[in-house]
Amino acid sequence: MTTPPPPAVEIDGLTKRYGDRVAVDRLTVQIPRGAVAGFIGPNGAGKTTTMAMLLGLLRPTSGDGTVLGEPIQHPERYLGRVGALLEGPALWPALNSVENLQVLARLGGHDQRRIPEVLDLVGLGARSGDRFGRYSLGMKQRLGIAAALLGDPELLILDEPTNGLDPAGISDMRDLIARAAADDRTVLVSSHLLSELEQICDWLVIIERGRLVYAGEAAALGAHTEILLGPAEPADLLALAEVVAAAGHEAGSIGEQLVVPIDGADPRAAAASLNRAAAAAGIVLAELHVRRPTLESVYLRMFEGEVA
Amino acid sequence: MIASARAEWARLIRRRVLLGALLSVLVAGVGGATIVLAAAEPAAKVPPGSSAPTLEGLATSGGGTQVFRDVVGFGGTLVFVVFIGLFALEFSRGTYRTMLLRQPRRIRLLAGRYLALVGFVAVGLAVTELVTWTVARLEASTFDVAADSWTSLAAIGSGLRDYATVLVWLAGYSVLGMTVAVLLRSVPLALAVGIAWAGPAEHLIGGFWASAEKVFPGLLLEIVGRGGTATVSATRAMVTAAGYIAVAAVASCLAFARRDVTA
Repeated sequence: MTTPPPPAVEIDGLTKRYGDRVAVDRLTVQIPRGAVAGFIGPNGAGKTTTMAMLLGLLRPTSGDGTVLGEPIQHPERYLGRVGALLEGPALWPALNSVENLQVLARLGGHDQRRIPEVLDLVGLGARSGDRFGRYSLGMKQRLGIAAALLGDPELLILDEPTNGLDPAGISDMRDLIARAAADDRTVLVSSHLLSELEQICDWLVIIERGRLVYAGEAAALGAHTEILLGPAEPADLLALAEVVAAAGHEAGSIGEQLVVPIDGADPRAAAASLNRAAAAAGIVLAELHVRRPTLESVYLRMFEGEVA
Repeated sequence: MIASARAEWARLIRRRVLLGALLSVLVAGVGGATIVLAAAEPAAKVPPGSSAPTLEGLATSGGGTQVFRDVVGFGGTLVFVVFIGLFALEFSRGTYRTMLLRQPRRIRLLAGRYLALVGFVAVGLAVTELVTWTVARLEASTFDVAADSWTSLAAIGSGLRDYATVLVWLAGYSVLGMTVAVLLRSVPLALAVGIAWAGPAEHLIGGFWASAEKVFPGLLLEIVGRGGTATVSATRAMVTAAGYIAVAAVASCLAFARRDVTA
């Protein structure tokens, strides 16, 4: 019987303080091997700090953890198997992309023959002779990803890789991350673009003010279906909420609509029942949808609170 | 450490860097040698205690490489400033973060970078010595300097000794420059503090405190470079300066190894 491999990332009570300010507060998280994990939280939630601690750049104030089975106190034992892009690509502006990657390959003991391969993967093969300082932000981000992939890492840690990119660049970056996630590679990626994360992530870690809000399968976070109800008259919103409550459901409001999570019950039957109850109360519905919640709607409800 | 040195070396041996360095060496070598020879006067005309070159001094077996020592007289300050810039700039650019992701053994990273840069300085210094000696040899007759003994065995010994002395002197400055950069982590701040201390501060204090040259690291290194003074021997200056350099090296390694890398 073989022992299952340890999680790609496992942290227990990880804390980072700067004086009185707690940037990361007793964070306990596991990320399984092979997962594409989205790391989500408002600005200043502690995402970058957490990643920097995993990469040995910051020392935790307290807490423990492992990366690829090795303790985070000894990053030299695992960083050779980790690729990372943290706080934007920081490379040498006077060097072109090949020269930059050659320096990093020598430093990390990576095979320099992979340089053309990773440059092609990120779509920079044709511009490899240009100096880094002359690249657009999108090209710099791509080179940062190429640098992270240079050592063919088991774990890829990407901090806001879509920062500053235009929509086409964001789409390209999403495809790039999806390609990089192939071959059972574990990816931990933070981003504000929840719709992009939703498309590529199967695991989510959500933090706020340094504390864990959610960690687990992405599908489980939005497992419940929800019914969206919109009265024809906005003034009927409160009355509609009372009808929904009388039917045994809890509702949250988004604008002039009610969102009713449905757990377990047949959502179509529940929608029909609510429609009948609203009609019986003299409320005309202009909208009635059954839908799975988007990551963005779940996230916004988490941080903005529910109104019922 | 070797990987770190090789990575740094890869950045140094680019054509643009090599051409720039070679041009600087040629300008300093040709221009400096010409100025030193032109400034040489008969010993009788030079005030006692002056370090100005004399025709008699240049005519000795060590005269050829004395030109080299005079030419690189500004090298300590130059190396100090350049090392501050090179080490502090990586903090400003965030490239230490990039490097530490590949080489998390921080002291090895710092030591490797330092050794590569000092190696580059050593090669540049050797080329500078060859250029100044060659230019001075070619121009010697023009300035009535007798250069017949510059090709003797004794001259080779003098040349090697002068090279080693200057290299030790520059290596000392380079460690101090690296330390200021690592401790302050900001190019303008490190340059301001470093230049203010090694330049005006030490010399101003040295102006009214006679023992300053026995105490301050910058003044001690200058004495090493000059081969000693009437009051402080080269050996004593080197030993005292070595103490400072050891403390500086340990301080920079500890700071680099223990601090969070946030940039």
